[in-house]
Amino acid sequence: MVGYAHSPVTRHAGRPLGAVAVDTARAAIVDAGLEVGQVDGFVTSALFPTAGSHAVVDGESLVSADWLAAHLGTIPRYVAGFQGIGQIPGMVGLAVNAVASGAADYVLLHRALHNPTGRYHGNPMTTVAGAQQWTAPQGFFGPLSMIALPYTEYLQRYRADRDAMAAVLVEARKNGARIPWSYWYKQPLTAEEYRAAPMLSDPIGRFDCDLPVDGVAAFILTSAQRARDLPHRPVYVAGYASSPPPPRRLPLHWPLDDIMTGGAETARRLWDSAGIRPTDVDLPQVYDGFSPFVWFWLEALGFCPVGEAHRFIQDGGIDSDNPTALPALSGGGALGNGRMHGIPQMLECYLQLAGRAGDRQREQATVGVACHSSPHYGGAVAYTSEPG
Amino acid sequence: MTPTPTRPLPVPDEQSAPFWAAAARHILTVARCSACGLYTVPPDQVCPHCRTTDPAFSFEPVSGRGVVRSWTVVRQSFLPGFADQVPFVLVDVELAEQAQLRLIGRLLDGPDTALHAGDPVTVGFEDLADGVAVPAFTLAGPAGGVA
Ligand SMILES: [Zn+2]
Repeated sequence: MVGYAHSPVTRHAGRPLGAVAVDTARAAIVDAGLEVGQVDGFVTSALFPTAGSHAVVDGESLVSADWLAAHLGTIPRYVAGFQGIGQIPGMVGLAVNAVASGAADYVLLHRALHNPTGRYHGNPMTTVAGAQQWTAPQGFFGPLSMIALPYTEYLQRYRADRDAMAAVLVEARKNGARIPWSYWYKQPLTAEEYRAAPMLSDPIGRFDCDLPVDGVAAFILTSAQRARDLPHRPVYVAGYASSPPPPRRLPLHWPLDDIMTGGAETARRLWDSAGIRPTDVDLPQVYDGFSPFVWFWLEALGFCPVGEAHRFIQDGGIDSDNPTALPALSGGGALGNGRMHGIPQMLECYLQLAGRAGDRQREQATVGVACHSSPHYGGAVAYTSEPG
Repeated sequence: MTPTPTRPLPVPDEQSAPFWAAAARHILTVARCSACGLYTVPPDQVCPHCRTTDPAFSFEPVSGRGVVRSWTVVRQSFLPGFADQVPFVLVDVELAEQAQLRLIGRLLDGPDTALHAGDPVTVGFEDLADGVAVPAFTLAGPAGGVA
């Protein structure tokens, strides 16, 4: 990985998402010391992650790799979009394999996220066919109830308290408040503010959810050999893993046992692919689109014992200001940046391992892991500061 | 429950029609594979247990008894017809018939009901419109007979 660019993260950009994506892509290409014509691979995963009834329009609510290449005015050799869940590890896999196979020399990987007007997950359906016929008539709909169910299971099984989650939010927002492009720049959150916020789908409250935003990030990937001639210190993809197929369930039904059983397999695939162990990782960046994922990922990847993440974090286990702790949300995550869907985790690995984190630069970071989505329905990528 | 005709109504398809026909008569059925005899929620093209591509699922009546595995109190609704029904409780229920056979439905006992993992429940139904009912649950109490 040899360069990047990131747009501001705003509630509504005030410009078409596609235009923001083109600007961001051009900036990433310049950052990598390249020209548009040299970029011969385009990869994304363009999903618009909403349960709402919003129109899906390329260039407006999402930006496909084809759209971006066409609007940059270039004719790439390789264009691909990842269709599964765990969009970031899925598309990093596509980009890495394109470079490794020679299908492309320089791949631009991007993710464009859109916050539509109107309620993000609101849906005016009066009849429901297909898979949701089994759940929507009962009122089980959208991701808040989806994550609330395994969260309740966790709280019950491990006698944890919802108040313990305040430590996750305080940490995410502390770090997000230090990031100039974050929606939450200079806006930390206190535990009292967290606890005072309204409940949405118990035990999920307002601040347990990331905030939908307009934002685009782009990265340039190439071979280690070509990277030597480019201006920035490269960061290496050591391995990646997507989750195994989940068990057959009702739509959006994610029992805790599914999350942790599937997560164990995701972790095994990651360590096998990267040739590293959990103890090698000094920069784990766990996914946090909903706060309970922080607990689930820390446990699934073996950074703390199963059932202990709530105590581990309350005891300062992920405090980014403590050099002996695991800085699992040092990049602010989605809770501290906005709904950038796995980009904050990837970007933090890149910036820290490339030595480009500025005031936030960590002395010791050499091995990062960027997680996305759920441990059983997502994936993770391992990055290193030295070639493997 | 008061019928609320503006809630999303299920559109039965070829596979699900027997389920909704039975539900309208307040009978809970679950799809059972004709090859291996195991239940699946919801049915699929391929049986997730024996992987036959010709499962010929039949919807067979079940006891309607189960235990609560999880729950949430929904305070914000994203669908029509629920605005005047929040807060309401959704329960994740493991049915007595088969391990990990789980349904999600409303708990009809009210939003302030104290719940614990393992609480026994039994099926109930909400009538949404003429000939349309959806399964829900009520607490069965310790005498519910569920181990
Ligand atoms: Zn079968």
